[in-house]
Parts: sequence; C-alpha cells; structure tokens
Amino acid sequence: MGRLISGQTRKKVLAVTSLFVMGAMLTLPIFMALPALAGGGAPAAGGPPPDVVAAQSGEGEGEGDKVEIGRDVYYKTEGPAVGAPAPKTQDTEEFYPRYNFESRVLLWVANQQHLYYGSFVLAVPIFCMCIEFAGLMSKDKAMAKKYDQLAYDFIKISLTAYSLTAILGGILIFTFLTLYPAFFGYLSSIFRPVMHIYALMFVAESGTLYIYYYGWDKMKEGLLKWLHVSMSVVLNVIGTVLMFLANSWIGFMMSPAGVDEQGRYLGNIWHVLHTALWNPLNVHRILGNMAFGGGVVAAYAAYRFLSSKNDEERAHYDWMGYIAMSLGVAFLIPLPFAGYWLMREVYAYRQQMGITLMGGLLAWLFIIQATMIGILFLTTNYYLWQALGRMTGGERFQRYIKYFVFILVVGLLVFITPHTIVMTPAELKAMGGQQHPVLGNYGVMSAKNGGINAIIMTTIASFIWYQRGNRIPAVKWAKFGNIFLITFFVVAHVNNIWVACYGYFIPANVRIGLSVPQVAGTLSCLFLGSALNLAMLKQSKEIGPIQWGKIAPRSQYALIMLATAFTWMMGLMGYIRSSVRLFWHVNEIMRDNSPWAYTHTIGFAANVISFNVLFFWVSILFVFWLGTLGVKKAPVSATATVPSAPSPQPAPGH
Amino acid sequence: MTWLKLVEGYMPMQMISELAGSILVFALVNWALKRAGLGVPKFWAGVGVWLYIQLYLQYRIYPPIPFSVRAIYGTVSGCGIFMWVSGSEGEWQEFKRPILNVMDGISGVHRAVRLGAVIVIPVAFGGFAYTSFLPSFAEPIELRTVHPAPPATTKVHGKTFVLQVVENPYRVNAAGNYDQAYTDARIVEQAMGRLMKDVNDADYNPWDPDAEGYIKYVREGGEIFFQNCHFCHGDNLNGRGLWAYAFNPIPANFTDAGTIAQLQETFVFWRVSKGGIGLPGEGFPWASVMPPWEQHLTVDEIWKVVMFEYWHTGYYPRTWD
Repeated sequence: MGRLISGQTRKKVLAVTSLFVMGAMLTLPIFMALPALAGGGAPAAGGPPPDVVAAQSGEGEGEGDKVEIGRDVYYKTEGPAVGAPAPKTQDTEEFYPRYNFESRVLLWVANQQHLYYGSFVLAVPIFCMCIEFAGLMSKDKAMAKKYDQLAYDFIKISLTAYSLTAILGGILIFTFLTLYPAFFGYLSSIFRPVMHIYALMFVAESGTLYIYYYGWDKMKEGLLKWLHVSMSVVLNVIGTVLMFLANSWIGFMMSPAGVDEQGRYLGNIWHVLHTALWNPLNVHRILGNMAFGGGVVAAYAAYRFLSSKNDEERAHYDWMGYIAMSLGVAFLIPLPFAGYWLMREVYAYRQQMGITLMGGLLAWLFIIQATMIGILFLTTNYYLWQALGRMTGGERFQRYIKYFVFILVVGLLVFITPHTIVMTPAELKAMGGQQHPVLGNYGVMSAKNGGINAIIMTTIASFIWYQRGNRIPAVKWAKFGNIFLITFFVVAHVNNIWVACYGYFIPANVRIGLSVPQVAGTLSCLFLGSALNLAMLKQSKEIGPIQWGKIAPRSQYALIMLATAFTWMMGLMGYIRSSVRLFWHVNEIMRDNSPWAYTHTIGFAANVISFNVLFFWVSILFVFWLGTLGVKKAPVSATATVPSAPSPQPAPGH
Repeated sequence: MTWLKLVEGYMPMQMISELAGSILVFALVNWALKRAGLGVPKFWAGVGVWLYIQLYLQYRIYPPIPFSVRAIYGTVSGCGIFMWVSGSEGEWQEFKRPILNVMDGISGVHRAVRLGAVIVIPVAFGGFAYTSFLPSFAEPIELRTVHPAPPATTKVHGKTFVLQVVENPYRVNAAGNYDQAYTDARIVEQAMGRLMKDVNDADYNPWDPDAEGYIKYVREGGEIFFQNCHFCHGDNLNGRGLWAYAFNPIPANFTDAGTIAQLQETFVFWRVSKGGIGLPGEGFPWASVMPPWEQHLTVDEIWKVVMFEYWHTGYYPRTWD
C-alpha cells in the first residue's frame, strides 16, 4: 500500500484526516446542541423563556394545558405559540432608559464599530487561505516564501483586530441591554435556541485562529503545512457560519418569520433564521466583507509603504498593496449584482420597503451610495494608471488616460444624477417642473445601468493595460488578437449605450431584462477580454522589469482613499438598511415607540457615518502600529523574504 | 445658441455627444499646436477644460440646471481633470510647475501673482463667509420625496385594494381578460411626437365610433381627464395646464420619463384617489394640492383615467416581471 500511494499523497490524506478530527473536536459541542436545531416544529431547547412559562402556567390554571396555535406571518404555517408576544413598548424609562443622549446614535456607533471589525476579521482569513494555498502550490521557492510571508502579514493584522472585535461585541451587548432592554430581551427570547451555538462558534473560531497564527512557524513544512492550510478552511467555515447567525438577527428584524402576528415564537427556529432576506443578506455581506477587508489591508500596506525607510520595505508593501487592492476589487465587481438580488427580494417581500429605499424617503442616500461606488472605481483606475509608472513600457498607455477619464467621468455623472433634484423654489420655477427635461433622463435606471457598465468596462480595460504594462504580446496572432480585443470593447460600449437609450421606449419589465445584455457585455469583457489578454501574454516580450516600490506616493493615497470610501459606503448602506424599517424594531411586529423613532436628516446621518469612519480609522491605525511593533521583534519575517527592489519579480497579478 | 437646438427625445445623448465632441476638438487642437511647438501648458489645459464644462452646463443647457447638480458635476469633472493631469509622473510635474513657480516666486511676474494670491484668496474666503452669513429671504431648499412608498392596501369607496396585486379591470383584451401585452400594443407611439398607430382603425383610435373594449375605455378615461384633470396637468399631459403656474411645484408632467413611466398603475390609482392630502409622512413636505379624487370620481372612473394617461403618453405601467 505504501508503494501504491506516494509520500506526498499520504501526507495529504493524513492532513485531511487530522483536519477532520480537529474540526470534529472543535464543533462537537455544537453538534451536541443540534437536536434543538433539528427539532423543527418542536419547542426551543430548554423550553420557552421563564416569563412565558410563568404566563402559561398562569393561563393553565383556567384553561388546562391548552397551547394556543399561532400562524407564521411569513411562512403561513401553524405552530404552538410557545414564545411571549413582542412587548408593546411605551415612551418611558422602563422601556427606553435615558442618558441625556440619543440612545439610537449610541447603539448605532457601537453596532457599526463592531461590524467594521467583524467584517475585517472575517474577510482577512479568507485572503490568508487563498494566499497561503497559492504559496504552497507555487513551484518557485522564492515566490512561495513571498506568498507565505504575505499571508502571515495579513493574519497578523487581523489578530489584534480580532481582540478588538470581541471587545466591541461586548460593548454592543451592554449597549443593547442598557438602552433597549425590552427590545433586546424580545430578540434574545426568539433566538434563544441558537444563542449558545453562536457563543460556541466564537470559542471554536478563537481556538482555531490562535492555533493557526501561533502555529505558523511550527507548521511550515510537509504534512504540517498542509494541516495548517487546511486549518484556514475550518477557520473560514466557522467564521462564515458565525456571520450567517449574526445576519439572521437583522434578517428577522427586517422581514420577520417564525412568529405570529403578535410576535410569539412558534417553535421552529429554522423559520426564524431563514427569513425572506437572510440569504441575499448573507451573500451581499460575504462579498462586501471581502471588498472591505481588501481595502483595509491595502490601506495598511499603503501606510507601511509611506512610512518605509528603505527600498526593500517599499517593494514589499507596494506588492502587498497591489495584491490586497486586486482582491478587494475582484469582490467589488460582483457586489452590485448581489445588491441587485437583495433589492429584488426586498421588493418581493414588501413593495413599500423597496420604494422607500430606492424611490422614496431614502432615495437620496442611494445617490450618495452611487457617488461612493463611482469613487471606488475611479480610484481603482487611478491606482492602476499610477502603477503603470513602475513598469518600463507602461508610459505607452499613459497618453490615452484622458479618453478613459472622459468615459469614467461621463459614466459617473449619469450614474449619480439624482432623479429628485435638490433645488430652491426659485430654481424649481425656472426649471418649470420637478424633472429636468435633459438631466431627468439620467435619473432613471436605464441610463444609470449604462453609466455603471461603462465605468466597469473601462476599469477592466485599465486592468488589461496594467497586465500589458511591461510586455508586448509575441504570439503569432498578436495583431489579430489586438484588433479583436479593441473591437470587442468598442462593440460592448456601443451595445451598452444603445441598450441604455432603447430602455426609454419599452415597458419596464422588458427594460429590466435589458440589463442582461448590458451585464453580459461587461462580463464578457471581464472574462473573455482578460483570458484573451493572458493568452496573448503567454508568449510575450518583456520590455523591462516591474520595479516594485518605484511608484508615486499618490498611488498609495489612492489606496487609502479606496479603503476610506469602502468604509464610508459600508456605514451608509448599513444605515439605509436599518432605517428602512422606519418606526419598527421588528418590521410590522414590534413597534419602536422611543422618542428616536424618526428618520434622521441626510446631513445628520452623514455626520454620524463620518464619525464612525473616523473612529474606525483612528482605532485601526492603532492596530497597524501594533503590527509594526511585532515586526521589530521578529526581523526574520519581513526582510529575509523580500527580494531587493532592483531584482525583477514576476508580477503576481499577471 | 439658437442655431443648434436641443432636440426633444434626444437631448440626453446630444449633451454627452456635444461634450465628447468638444473634448475631442480640444485634444486635436492641442495635438496640432504641440506639433507646431506651441502646446498649451498642462495647467492651463486642465483649468480651461474645467471652465469650459462649467460654462457649457450653465449656458448651453436649458432650462437652467439647479446649483446642486452643477456643484456635483463641477466636483466630479474637477476630480476627472485631476486624474488626467496627474495620470503620469511627467504630466503631474508639468501641471505642478506653474503653481510651484508662483509659490517659489522665480520671477517678478511670479512674485506679483503670489502677492496677489496672498491678498485675493483670504479676501475671497472672507467675502464668501460674509455673504453666507447675510440674512436671506429666499425660500429654503426642500428635499421633496415625489414618489413616497404607497401603503400595502388602500380603501376607496369602501372597498380595500391590495396595491401589490390589484389589476386595472379595464386593461383587457378582446375576450375581456386582463392583458397587459394586448393593451401595450395599442398605446400611442413614442417618436418625435406621440402618434396613434392607425387613426382609421377602431382597434387603435379611441375616438372611432366602432371602438370597443380597451380602446373604448381609453376614450372614456380621456373624457374624464379633459373634464377634470387637464386644467392642471395640461391637454398634452405635460403638466402645463391652464392653472399649472398657480402652483409651486407645478403639477406632474406625465410625459416625463420619471413620473408615471416609473410607477405601477396601482400606485397612480392610489395617488389619484387620495390626492395630496392623502400623502403619507414620507411624502414630506406634502407639496401637492391635488384633490382626493375619490370624492369626485368613482373607482371605475379613476381606473379609466389612469389608463388614458398611460395610453396618451405612450408609456407602459411598471409591472412585476
């Protein structure tokens, strides 16, 4: 047998087995708790909350053991009403304690900070997993070491952030308990069957993370390395389940299920978890976390680049910033599609909710969101153009930047033109109506789809430029390939503009379908364009090396801007998602009767979001600083693996 | 610019094309000047293009664009120009040079400009601060929610309508069944104007004596419209009725792509029934004086008039799939 299986395979089998055992050990407590989860229609583990038991026993005196049957507000199934009804709160100290400050804003800040750090520590291990695996599979020893070092750098940053996430989680719970005791009590009673699983997952996540981080050096060879890489898979699975559980709370608040009209828990925890918006939120958040995580790591690299004292450091952090930015943008591109699905589900769940978001009260916030998306794409393009500067031959493309700028700016202007314009009454009179006859046409979806697709396609073209920066395709069909590539992009742009215009002359349901050819054009540019370009570059003439570290500092500020825009947009979208419930704690189940159950003005909301962003960046700077302290203690990690700047390195993104 | 008109229906693309054409002309002129050794310095090229865009937006586009939008456009175009002039290191150095020369005061002229800047910039800021603190009697800016979210249900003449599922009972085919595609095929055509598809065909012309079914209901809706609605919404449904300018804002322009074309028929039914007074809290500042038409029209009449509005404007009501 030993002869039949090669040593490498045996190591892999052993690694997988060990990993399985470790995973089983870590998740054993959770599986032990599973009967409650699998119980389906059965009452929650441990029975209903004590207050309900008391209430029921009180009722029992008069009515025997009869349990009332309730009807699920979403699934329309029937079940025993084992939970307490949602509290009918009043504007009193009992339900909403006061601390001479708006409780909602305090909770908002606590929530947002926890979310920022939570997203970051969930995203970074996914990057680590990919990068460490890439290093393991790399045949080039120097490259493998470089990847390994990068993955280590990533996880090192996330470790300190992990502690902060836990602290902020504690602060969040205390804030909830102190400021919204009735509401938090109700939510806890609903989610009681999975609360302990949530806590146990935290223990499992922490355990795995610490073994993963502290075992890095010990597990760097052979079987142990495989085990180490596999551990990152376990880490990410636990992290993802954790996030799904956390998402179920907000899913329940927006689109409750598993309870009856009075908010009584009907004994089926799966219905409570699996609400109408749970899965769209899960997908959107995974992608969002990844894009955000990439942005924060890119900002870290930029910070380290700008504070570097020598060329080696600059080279390493330039490369790190590039990788992190690429990862972030790779997840940014599918994010709008996940957002589209989420909004579609919101409309399907409650039309009013969709209109309040996209066409009504909160529509202006979506214009701000569009602006932020535009900033993200424009900044990415700018970074790539700057990155051409570190390649010999990159200047060939820089003369065409102005045409790309034009497409990007026009696309963005169309994308962010508001449908409802802010204007003085005098301007309104001068305009002759609420809608501007020229610009009003940019305010609707047909034009906006055209705008954003033009921006994305231009970004893809910039990536292709970047890939070609220091290389000239040398395949026999290079000329044909170039003509095909240019024609393909031109046709995709023409198709995009034509469809955007045509959308005004057809019914809305057909128009929505038109986004398919638009998106298909964009995705074709992405996949076909990139693949063709890579095929052409397989045999290419290198004009000169990539000089990592030889990039204008402006590019690093662009990375910081990218990360800040991610952070701001995340804060904004969180606010929009939360405030669409208007005056409900739990939509249509538990009313918010606090004095703060109104929608803030846009200016106030923007100020709080900005404060959150500032607070996060100040605190994460502290985390970055801690990271630099670690480097001083372990000089082996950075300098030994980073090649000196002049020696050419293969571009990892190529 | 009367010799080059903005053509209705094509204005949005015309504006983008004109801007693109201008930029192309600038690039060509600059290229020709460069070849003749007279290239425009990057700094002035950047400033010039930015100013051109602002002037274009202010004076070329009519009716005037509100300041808030011009501010957005100005900022974005400014960012775009920054991206262009700093796209490569060489261009960035070239762009910065005149600014650095002034700051360094490398010649008498530069020193004079520097002195001027040192005086003018603080004075300009002071002036800006002073004017912004001056008392103003202008009406404040209102951020109006034109299309607030409708309720899940609405009660008209004692009957409850679930807005997400209810259908216009008059939007029917020849067999009398609800048929959106059938009625969509019979609305006026959107071209350089709005034209009936075939005036001589009773299937398309509501005023044909033989008109039946959907197209007859459109005529009935039209009669209701011209008896009740056109005084404000105009005989061309463009919000320019006889009394329109007595109101601020003026009534909704149904021919605009941003009004009924964006809405479900049930939304319009609800708005017409409940009027301005029935707007929800989200509809702040409730700037609508439309009467609640349920007090003057029957449910059937409201459905018919809504259908007429879609027919006449050539728009299709929004649907779910």
